[in-house]
Amino acid sequence: MQEDEPSLNIPSLLTLAVVSFFVLRWFFNRDEGSSAGGRPRGRGNVVDPAQVEQIAQMFPQLSTRDIMWDLQRNGGSVAATTERILTGRGLETPPPSFQPQIVLPSANAQPTQATRAAPASKGDGQDLISRYNLSGKIIADSNTEQAPTAASTSAWSQNKEERQRLLQKRRDEMILAARRKMVQKDQGKSQ
Amino acid sequence: MASSVAQKRLFHEYKNLSTNPPEGITAGPVSEDDMFYWEALIEGPGGTPFEGGVFAAELKFPKDYPLSPPTMKFVGGGVWHPNVYPNGTVCISILHPPGDDPNHYEHASERWSPIQSVEKILISVMSMLAEPNDESPANVEAAKMWRERRAEYEQKVRDEVRKGLGL
Repeated sequence: MQEDEPSLNIPSLLTLAVVSFFVLRWFFNRDEGSSAGGRPRGRGNVVDPAQVEQIAQMFPQLSTRDIMWDLQRNGGSVAATTERILTGRGLETPPPSFQPQIVLPSANAQPTQATRAAPASKGDGQDLISRYNLSGKIIADSNTEQAPTAASTSAWSQNKEERQRLLQKRRDEMILAARRKMVQKDQGKSQ
Repeated sequence: MASSVAQKRLFHEYKNLSTNPPEGITAGPVSEDDMFYWEALIEGPGGTPFEGGVFAAELKFPKDYPLSPPTMKFVGGGVWHPNVYPNGTVCISILHPPGDDPNHYEHASERWSPIQSVEKILISVMSMLAEPNDESPANVEAAKMWRERRAEYEQKVRDEVRKGLGL
């Protein structure tokens, strides 16, 4: 009885070791195979050199290889990569097996001169009072004769309409305050 | 995908500008239904002919903001300034994308990049009002006047400021 137990255990342990060795080896080989080479071609995930260039221009401190790796993994989204960099998560270092398949056309920033606005001569000569419909408030303002409500310090609300209202209020107050000051200055001069 | 990144970012900037507004600046979307269209008010910087004035501008953001910069255009009263086109469009380096430097006088660090923000644009525009850059005038006539007939330039600006406030 006593020699039965160990003799049963050793072979079973050995078998277990051998089997797990092969399982693990198969596992790792498969992983390596999918991250190197096979994937970009298989899923059409080729990194667009223009995108890499775009990001490299914004963040010259980053290696293009890291950028390509991130772009390839997120499916070529410049926005997602930028977001990732800006949120401070940084880019992962690609595994050594990652061989980018494209060559960067390095000095190839295409000039987009078209963005320069063409001058159009006509301005819409409208003042801010009529633009924001403030003439009614000016009258109310001059009746009370004194600077109303101290400028609201923090204008934020969880409610969308409330936010909109607060912004408009700050805007109106800014214009009215400037106008009030200017009028006061004029009165000071004429006296 | 890209436009939701832009929307999130713009909302975040809107919140920061509202809770912690820089001196003399008010900015936000005209309506939150369209986060890509903003309106901003800038006070004229003190010690300049723009002092006492308030200037309204519209900001239009591209769908891939913050990768590309917005455009900015003064509305309402004209802004008589060497770096503002007669139609109100502002022309300064921070509004130019990084690759775009046809004149080779702007440093890359001055131009647009996603680490800039609406707040930085508006502050830059404020200091632009105080210190025109006449290397690449957008309004040639204003630049000439600014260079050669400063008193006349300043008087014209002061008149515009008053007109803008309906005076």
